[in-house]
Amino acid sequence: MTLSDIWLFLQQGLLSGLVTGSVYALLALAIVAVFKTTDVPNFSQGEMFMIGGYVALSLIMTGYLSYAAVIVVTLVAVALGGALFQKVVMERVTGSRGVGVQLVIATLGLAYMLKGLVRQTGLGDAPRSLPPLVSNDAVMIGDAALTRLDIAIFVVAVVVMLLIWVMFTHTRIGKAMRAVGMNPRAAQIVGIRLSRIRMMVWAMSGLISGLAALLITPKVLITPDIAHIAILAYAAAIVGGFTSLPGAVLGGLIVGVLENLVGLFISTNAIVVAPFLAILLTLVVRPQGLLGGKVQVKKV
Amino acid sequence: MKNFSTDQVALLFLLGVLCILPFTVTGYVLYIVNLLMVFVVLALGMHIVIGEAGQFALSHTAFYGIGIYTASLINTAWHPPFVVSVLAGGLLSALLGYLIGFLALRMRDIYLALATFAFGEAMQWVFLNWESVTGGSNGMRMQPAEIFGLKFTNDIQAYPFVIAMAALMLWITVALSRSQFGSALRAVRESDVAAMAMGINTRSMKLAAFAISAAFAGIAGGMYTLFISFIHPESLGFQTTILILTMVVVGGIGSVRGAVAGAIFFGLVSELLRQALSIQEIIYGAILMGFMMFKPRGLFADRRQRVARAIAGKVRP
Repeated sequence: MTLSDIWLFLQQGLLSGLVTGSVYALLALAIVAVFKTTDVPNFSQGEMFMIGGYVALSLIMTGYLSYAAVIVVTLVAVALGGALFQKVVMERVTGSRGVGVQLVIATLGLAYMLKGLVRQTGLGDAPRSLPPLVSNDAVMIGDAALTRLDIAIFVVAVVVMLLIWVMFTHTRIGKAMRAVGMNPRAAQIVGIRLSRIRMMVWAMSGLISGLAALLITPKVLITPDIAHIAILAYAAAIVGGFTSLPGAVLGGLIVGVLENLVGLFISTNAIVVAPFLAILLTLVVRPQGLLGGKVQVKKV
Repeated sequence: MKNFSTDQVALLFLLGVLCILPFTVTGYVLYIVNLLMVFVVLALGMHIVIGEAGQFALSHTAFYGIGIYTASLINTAWHPPFVVSVLAGGLLSALLGYLIGFLALRMRDIYLALATFAFGEAMQWVFLNWESVTGGSNGMRMQPAEIFGLKFTNDIQAYPFVIAMAALMLWITVALSRSQFGSALRAVRESDVAAMAMGINTRSMKLAAFAISAAFAGIAGGMYTLFISFIHPESLGFQTTILILTMVVVGGIGSVRGAVAGAIFFGLVSELLRQALSIQEIIYGAILMGFMMFKPRGLFADRRQRVARAIAGKVRP
């Protein structure tokens, strides 16, 4: 490998990594938002993402709706599903015992059920992908080749992140979510309804998952196992500190770039271990994550 | 005459059935029983980390796989008595578990769940791709385990040893759970802060529980090599971890007899539904969700009873 090859690979890895990383960043944002407000690491994030892809796919295959309508219906469906899960299942689990382990198991159960249901429909038997909205023409940036689709993915993801940021900083509902994340009891005292906020956060997480699915599925083939992508989002969240929203975005981009560099320099086969390596490295070097602040001593 | 408890009666009955079994049934049934014993040990291992210590780890299958490959590679290379190779698998798993736990438990508890989740995926990749050692996606044919020159070539030869090991692991679990160490683990489970106030080093307790559970999974892997001659990494994925989790959850998180009963029941279910992966996924998913909603302590929850009896001075709490 000559020096110019390495330079080319670096550019390509960085840019492709930012594209896929922006999608991981979206999923990591959803994971962190849910964790902050409900104290649950959502192990069904990947499956919510997958279900978004399949809802869109089945709507397109029936052919009644235009693409724009499909997008809207998909987003609404996944968001409603997320809200419903929090309202029906998670509230009930919290009510009947309500410690961390039980909540985590409930999300794992949801993940498995969704995966099984998709497999049962037979839609997942063959890998498929959605028709792209934007053409696949190549665009050269420096020496790296991207497609128009890639650029569209990145731009949309960044816009969505900005919207989320605006929501958290400038709207009542976003501020309420942050308040619940900081101190649920205090938030309750000032009149915020915990269960409603938690439901909204889950709906938001569903919305983001559906969006991520719509963004990436024209680019990659979906199968019921695509939910594995979530593992990269967990890694992203840990790299970012797990309680920091900007950290989740940063982590997502880093993990995306890391994954692409591993794929280019080592082997595409080795991509599977990239998230584990990223998690381990973070835990060794900076366990609180990049933007996780100081290590806090747990208070009573 | 001494009064026997329900548990003791159940155990004696089970022992009786297990003794008669080899003389009455075919090899396939013995294979199933062997397999169920492996599941029992796996479930006991998960019971220790989730049930006793209240921590969440999702790498059980990875350690199970490490146990299988370690034991069978040692068998192939040196032909030691099987106890050596099984213990080696358990030891290696425990060491790796300790290392991962040491790193993951530096921050919050859920990092253990996330790191072990990623570790499980990474290990399946290793099993699939380290072809010179594991045979990769072709799977690996294993040399039979042996003890003092007796090679285990069928299920009935392995049967007594598999049963004995499962019984031993069950005894160890119960002993652990009744020891001071077990009490400390439960204290950590109920409240970190209260446990710390009593002078329990919570982090090292969690770490120990995780390492022990990894060792159990490794030993279960070693037991598997006693009666199986072929292993494929396909079966060492996340679905096996979910299966074991279902066993523990339905039996009752925190109950040893629940873990054993769950392992036997869902071991049979998974064997019956071998061909129907999607149905299995739906069932396990629905069970995990449903039990957490309506019966979070599982079917064998008995804490209230035990507390009541303890107050009456009948048993040690």
